[in-house]
Formats: sequence, structure tokens, C-alpha cells
Amino acid sequence: MTAAPRPYTLVAELTYRCPLRCVYCSNPIDFHRSRAELSTDEWRRVFSEASELGVMQLHLSGGEPALRDDLVELIQHARAHDLYTNLITGGTLLNDDKLRSYRDAGLDHIQLSIQGATRDSAEMIAGVRSHQKKLDVARLIRQVGFPLTLNVVIHRLNIAEVPELIALTLELGADRLELANTQFYAWAAENRRALMPTREQYDRAEEIAREAIAKYRGTLEIAFVQNDYLSGEPKPCMGGWGRSYMCINPIGEVMPCHAAAVIPGLRFESVRDHALEKIWRDSPAMNAFRGDEWMMEPCRSCARKEIDFGGCRCQAFMLTGNAAEADPICRLSPHHGVVESMRKDVDTVEPLIYRDAKTSRELASP
Amino acid sequence: MTGDNAWRPRLASRARLKFDPIEKQEMLLFPEAALALNETGAAIVRLCDGARSINEIVDQLSKNYGAADRDALTREVIEFLETIRARGLLQ
Repeated sequence: MTAAPRPYTLVAELTYRCPLRCVYCSNPIDFHRSRAELSTDEWRRVFSEASELGVMQLHLSGGEPALRDDLVELIQHARAHDLYTNLITGGTLLNDDKLRSYRDAGLDHIQLSIQGATRDSAEMIAGVRSHQKKLDVARLIRQVGFPLTLNVVIHRLNIAEVPELIALTLELGADRLELANTQFYAWAAENRRALMPTREQYDRAEEIAREAIAKYRGTLEIAFVQNDYLSGEPKPCMGGWGRSYMCINPIGEVMPCHAAAVIPGLRFESVRDHALEKIWRDSPAMNAFRGDEWMMEPCRSCARKEIDFGGCRCQAFMLTGNAAEADPICRLSPHHGVVESMRKDVDTVEPLIYRDAKTSRELASP
Repeated sequence: MTGDNAWRPRLASRARLKFDPIEKQEMLLFPEAALALNETGAAIVRLCDGARSINEIVDQLSKNYGAADRDALTREVIEFLETIRARGLLQ
């Protein structure tokens, strides 16, 4: 076996618990099953081992990571290992005291989610009263002195608000804005027909974003994460499966990305049973799509295989039933027709499915 | 540009230096990405404190490294700072 590559980024999903009910949530549909969260000591051990493996960037994510009572201790430990530590939060549980304790513990950066530019659109997506509290928390985050990224998941119901979202980011004094088009996995896949933008909406939003990126270069960083159904470009799956990135879920399972559990037959090993280094290097799941041995045509002989790695393995499985197929987003895929029809399959009256424990139980029961 | 004393660059609060013990090089870390820096790049970043002008940064570098060609060094400093400024890493 060849030497494992070096991981640079660890996403630590500290909990799946969350006060929000966002319809695009990336947590697995059956998240309610994951109850026995890693302990403080277990996460501390993981951060130490990750740092030794070469990880530089740590994202504390969820669910809502601020629901962990030990968040300050976890931040302290991460910074003791000099990890660049980013908190990915919905913000509704934060206050001045908590923010100051995170700052004193050494937290580097906060990424706050906003669901829309207006209360109505935002709360239709979040499923709970939350918008004003988030705006208040964004101002507090800046007052306490953190660099701030606003992350807005973009879809048909808020894509027309891109100009207002840019204005809001400037008003709140954030450093970065991520306009992250919905990726259709987990809860977003359940809601795909309600969330898929039209061609006209998407092209308009992309044009506005491009102009803003140029206009604010050097002062406000704006990232426009594409919707691959509409851009037509296969996503370079996590920069290559098991290549520089890993995600650890609340119960300690190590995955090449947070969506990978949709692929049947992959068994994820837990940091409760093995050292992180051993899992990263040897686990069958982490090795399943490393390199290009697994590739089929048209990927195997494609000049772009080191650029996009054949696209997303999870999407290949979801749309073709075989995770080793080319991602059907690629026009060279024999299954590309599926994407063409899904792109047009929009429904303006479909009821939204909100992410919560009750719905998780209903959807996950056989 | 050369000798522009108004520009006193300061590293953005979201970026910080970290020595990578594996590759044995300085890294500039910021949200979602990192830049590997050579020795000069790291030295320049350390001098970006918001108080020093470009001339003063060049002075300090010349003193520390004994650069023979001051104009070339000034150009190198400005070029490097423009690169990281374009990424929003200076404030």
C-alpha cells in the first residue's frame, strides 16, 4: 500500500443536536440514531492525534456546536496544539459571555449561518424564530473582536436576495461572505424540488456575485460556491477522497466527507476503537476511492481526472446506484440525462421538509 | 509606490502564521485555506504590524538579512504584499 497522504483539514461534528430546523441541513437523515457523543477527553485525544498527523485547520461544527458544555475546553485544547480553529455556528445560543470565553480560549474565527436577508425568507428556511437574534449575534461577534464569515446557503427561495445579502454583510462588518449554493445531499436532497433554482435565477445570482467579488477584492472576500446541476462542472470531491480532508461525526466515525454515509457498504471506523492515524491510513472506507484505480470510463482515461477526481462519489451513487461511476453532472457521463431532467424538475408548491428529530425518525424508519 | 510611506500594512485578524513541523516551513493560515511562505515571506508578514511603512519594513529586512540590492528587495516586498492584499489578508 502506498503511503497515505497528509490530512490538512478536520471537520469535527461535535453534535447533531440543533435548535434550528433548516431544510437544507447536511446532517444525515437518520441523525437521531447518533446519541452517544464523544466525550471531552475523546475529542481532546482526537485533536492531539490530528495535529500530529499534520492537520492545520479545525472546524468545530454540528449540529450546533455551542450546545456542547465543554466547548471552551475543546477550543483551549485545539489551540494548545496550534490548530487554526473555526467555530461553525447558527449563533442563536451565543451571548457576550460565551463569546468572550471562546476568545480567551483562543478561538481563531467564527462562521455564522444566516438563512436569508429578510426575517420571512430566513425563518421559512430555518423553521424557527431566529433571524433577529442572528443579526444581534453577528454584531456581538465583531464587538468581541472575532473575524467573521457569514455563510448563506443559497436556493430558489432566497437566491433573489444576493444583493441584499452582500449589503447586509457590509453593514454587519463581516470579513467574508460565503454564498454557498445548496448541495443536494441529506435534507437538501429531500427538499430538492423546492430548493432548485431556475436557470435564469442562477445565472443572474452568479453574475451579481462575480461583479461583487471583483468590486470588493481586498476588502471583503466573497465566495460563490456553485450549484453543480446548473454550473455543469463536476465538483472535485473533497479535493480527492481521503486526500487532505476528514470529517469525524458526533459518535467518532471517521469519514472522507460528511455525506459519505449514503454510500452503502462503507464501514466507518471509530476513534473509540482505533488511533486516528491508523484509521486515516488503513481503513477500507478511507481507501475506497483514493487514487484512481477505482475509476471507470469515461473518468479512467480522462485528462481532467486529477482536477475533478471524477466528481462527487456520493452524487454518483445517489444518481446511478454505483459510487464508482462518473458523477452524472459531467456531460461525458452516460447518466448525464438524469441531471438534465432533475435540473428542470422544480416545484413551487411542494411543502418543505424540516430537519428535526421527529422527522428524522419518520424518514429513517423502514 | 516605492517609498509610499502612507501604506503601513497590518496582517488581517483572521490570518496567522504557524510553523509546520512536518514540511518545516512557515504557513499563513486563514479561513478555508493556507499559504506556504518562504523565509522572506514569513519575515515580511512578521513586520506587518500596522506601524511600519514599506520603507521601514525594507530597512528591517536589510538589517536582518544584509540585502545587497535595496531596490530589488523593495520590489520583492511590494509584490509579496500585493499578493496577500489581493486575498484580503491585509487590513
